[in-house]
Amino acid sequence: MSLVQISGLKKYFDTVHAVDGVDLEIKQGEFLVILGPSGCGKTTLMRMIAGLEKPSAGQISIGGADVTALPPRKRGVSMVFQSYALYPHMNVFNNIAFPLRAQRREKKFDKRVIREKVEDTARLLEIDMLLDRRPRQLSGGQRQRVAIARAMVTQPAVLLLDEPLSNLDAKLRANARDELKDFQRSSDITAVFVTHDQIEAMGLGDRIVVMSEGKIQQVGTPQQIYDDPANEFVATFLGSPSMNIIASAHHKFGFRPEHFLPKTLNDNPENARIFHYFVKRVEYLGSDRLVYGYVQGHDSHLTLAKVPSNVRVSLDVETDYEFAVHYRDLKFFDQRSGARITRRNPAEAL
Amino acid sequence: MAALTWILSNFWALLVIALVLLVGLRIAWRIHKYGATRAEFSHILRRSPFYIVVLVFCFFAVSPFLIMFLHTFKTDGDLYRRPQPFIFRQEPTIEHLDALFNNTAYLDFIRNSIVVGVAVVIITLVLSLPAAYALARLTGRWGERAGILMFLVYLLPPTLLFIPMFRIVVLLGLKDSPLALIVVYPTFTVPFSMWLLQGFFKAVPPELEEAALVDGYNRVEAFLRVVLPLSLPGIISTVVFTFTLTLHEFIYGLVFIADTRQRTLSVGVPTELILGDVYFWQPLLAAALIIAIPVGLAYNLFLDSLVQGFTMGAVKG
Repeated sequence: MSLVQISGLKKYFDTVHAVDGVDLEIKQGEFLVILGPSGCGKTTLMRMIAGLEKPSAGQISIGGADVTALPPRKRGVSMVFQSYALYPHMNVFNNIAFPLRAQRREKKFDKRVIREKVEDTARLLEIDMLLDRRPRQLSGGQRQRVAIARAMVTQPAVLLLDEPLSNLDAKLRANARDELKDFQRSSDITAVFVTHDQIEAMGLGDRIVVMSEGKIQQVGTPQQIYDDPANEFVATFLGSPSMNIIASAHHKFGFRPEHFLPKTLNDNPENARIFHYFVKRVEYLGSDRLVYGYVQGHDSHLTLAKVPSNVRVSLDVETDYEFAVHYRDLKFFDQRSGARITRRNPAEAL
Repeated sequence: MAALTWILSNFWALLVIALVLLVGLRIAWRIHKYGATRAEFSHILRRSPFYIVVLVFCFFAVSPFLIMFLHTFKTDGDLYRRPQPFIFRQEPTIEHLDALFNNTAYLDFIRNSIVVGVAVVIITLVLSLPAAYALARLTGRWGERAGILMFLVYLLPPTLLFIPMFRIVVLLGLKDSPLALIVVYPTFTVPFSMWLLQGFFKAVPPELEEAALVDGYNRVEAFLRVVLPLSLPGIISTVVFTFTLTLHEFIYGLVFIADTRQRTLSVGVPTELILGDVYFWQPLLAAALIIAIPVGLAYNLFLDSLVQGFTMGAVKG
């Protein structure tokens, strides 16, 4: 069943439509990633779930109760901020105990219970030896763990994470991603994770919500989002390098660079569309070769191909080749709206 | 008494001896620590001009206080005949100090000033803490304008306001009582400290407050538990500044209170110790010095955060 239900949610700042009509259901125990370019409204959406921002219209309910008008403290959510927002005047122990102390009276926590809970959570996140330190004495990775511990200690219904990995260096980030996923799975908490990093999103999310210009573009598993994009935006936003889009007479069609391969590699040329491809430049990236060139008849922009290095095909610059894309890898989009169009017979459509 | 006389008579010799001793000890300590090497001596020689210049500047900065201190103990004859500020030609005396404490209401002035200062500081904090917090977080167009408008009140000079204020004080029946000052002083301390505090509050990242809100606290608790402790240095320096504002205020103090025993330092000292064109220099200087020393020390302690408060208000405001 769905734990969080969002319907018709809007947020306007003066004339800017930061969030413009979002409907979303978040399931119990899932890891939901909200992905989008900066300024797409993903952080505003999360802040509205947390109660830090008042929606202009729409409704949010958590666990069946309407929380739209409730302040953050009454929603049973907790949040990890991008800057971690650790209290600099408290040591790690007091930082983690802070949310527990807020519930002290209501849940009858005495000092012993608070100490136990803080120590348990700290042990789980392997920061139990840091409890006496101040936040400024911690490394980035340790700060992030303290922030997660503080958010987890009250066992909230929903854990909100606002780009918590963006302040870590690249090496730490991969590690932290892995740990975060393990941690979420073992604690069975519902997590909402906001990011602009598609690798993070693909790696972490059970489901991904792709947002742009305040609207949800698509919701689905990482594979659905990548293989079956709902529109041109989703298709080009995910994947690196992004999908090639070519305009034809009636519509646009797109294919991913890794599906655009020399014809000789294709074992069944009948199922593939052949393009005359003029290779302009080849970049050797180790595992792949990135090929920049022009498709005949569409010389206005570059079309990219990603050819695995272990494939024994020689690719020379300033040379014409025949490249092929399997029909099932061709996606069609409406010329004006960019919405995905299904073609029963892609061979004819071209 | 004899000891004091001896110290004052030989003041300069003692000062020089103390300085030489201090410098000598410092050099001895360095040599003890780093060894009597050639490099060490050349280091000391290279650094010496710097410290000599510092010393000269220190002397300029301190000399008004030195003159005040020395003059306190001078007899009238020594003070007026052939002025010579730095040496005693007649035996030092404490009769003027004695007169200040026993023949004037100096102790009453101090008491009144402290009572007024403390009360005004409390009223100012109660009013300006919430106002400054609201202005720091109301970042919209109107929030900023409201802040500037309130600060403009501070720029209205008391010379313009003291007559209407006097009418109000009389109406309230507070004439000739320090209560009058407690009521009137917040009119300029509140806008001023609000402006200072606003700068300190703006320096606290809003995310910290939001974290406290999500962690289960309401806005007041978040303010008390997160914002307040983090801006405590700023609040303390605001307190110091507000207190000194009340300490040196003159016009309101002069106009509202005619009864000598009810007056504050800034009014009482000059009105009691200057009669017509007769200046009682020794007690005047002593009265000023005794108050200047604690205030100066307090300023020194909080100078850094005070400057920070001003610039934060200016840059981010």
